[in-house]
Amino acid sequence: MTAELHNDLIVAAILFVLGAIGFLTRRNLIVMALSAELMLHAVSLNLLAFSRLHGNNEGQAFAIFIVTVGACEAGIALALFVALYRRRRTLDVTAWRELGEEGLPADTSLEEPSIVPVAPAPLEFPHLTPAGRVPEVPKRRAPDRV
Amino acid sequence: MHPALLGQTDWLTGHEAALLPPLLGFLAIWWLMPRAKVWPRSVGVLLGLAALASGALTLFQPGAAIVSNVLFAFFALAAIASAALMITNRNPLYSSLWFAVTTLCVCGLYLLRAAPYLAAATVIVYAGAIIVTFLFLIMLAQQAVGVAAYDQRARQPLAATLLGFLVLGGLICALRPWAPVATAGEVLTEAVEAAPASQALLRIPPALAADPFSQRGDRPLGEVRGLGRVLFGKYLYAVELAGTLLLAASIGAIAIALSSRRGAT
Repeated sequence: MTAELHNDLIVAAILFVLGAIGFLTRRNLIVMALSAELMLHAVSLNLLAFSRLHGNNEGQAFAIFIVTVGACEAGIALALFVALYRRRRTLDVTAWRELGEEGLPADTSLEEPSIVPVAPAPLEFPHLTPAGRVPEVPKRRAPDRV
Repeated sequence: MHPALLGQTDWLTGHEAALLPPLLGFLAIWWLMPRAKVWPRSVGVLLGLAALASGALTLFQPGAAIVSNVLFAFFALAAIASAALMITNRNPLYSSLWFAVTTLCVCGLYLLRAAPYLAAATVIVYAGAIIVTFLFLIMLAQQAVGVAAYDQRARQPLAATLLGFLVLGGLICALRPWAPVATAGEVLTEAVEAAPASQALLRIPPALAADPFSQRGDRPLGEVRGLGRVLFGKYLYAVELAGTLLLAASIGAIAIALSSRRGAT
């Protein structure tokens, strides 16, 4: 049983660290929110491991509260992202750098054009070689107004 | 040096192989991070696969129950791999889908740990609701052709990855005394009673042991009846608070969205 516990704790630690790395490095607001949810998953896994070790349901009750708080957080975060996107037309978190502390050195590695365009595939229709002569289409009279 | 830390380093001198999977994982994550110059992805993928394989070899010892071992290994490795793909993918659309895969795998782990109700709730809430709304927002925000530049460049990938894997190494070393000592058919209660002071969390506190609702063995763990007894008995006020929190969050989300619309026009 402690083997199960140890494996669970290791896996939860790995998931938590991956979520933390994603939260620190990614600049898309949505991916940052998803990384935070991944960290919540890892913590619930820890609670479930201890719940199984101790053989009672309290850890599962805590995990249900975590799911509740995660749902609240996701809803508020989505509303905030929509508001921020309407202001700046971007989901980049570094667009809101002035909300941080003043006087910090600027991160020069982040200067770049805002959109890297991917070349669209050229749109081509098949060309038929003209043959014969153009048929004469009889001119149609415009329909009378009723 | 602190004596506990000294003990950890003593342990490490015999088990250098345990440092291999975190090191390979660090290299894989750092390689796969989105950056300006495109590095070949295949090297990162190979490094990640090597990390997963070595981790599986060192972590999952063959135990008594083969089926649960295999299922646990499958779900755990799939969850870790899809989480790594989630944080390294350049397209937020694919990141969301990989997060859905991670959620499903973590729910498989929940099922293995006797929590069917929680697994169902997590699938419904996360994979059902949150992912769909995030996908809506991504499709709303990504009207232009191409991947946005801020998804192509990670912010300080080397420092963040190094920090994360240092934390992971510290956690693995801290959890090492809890590793199983090769006991097949181990009786849980004896192991818990005999837990040394370093494993104080393994002991069941006496107040909990005296609680009739948390007695081991009277009801199967994870049954909805027992879970409901705990939720609506001991934690009734917390449930009410959680409901109030949900109400406040929904009101707040609607207020934020509406006020931003009024400010934009």
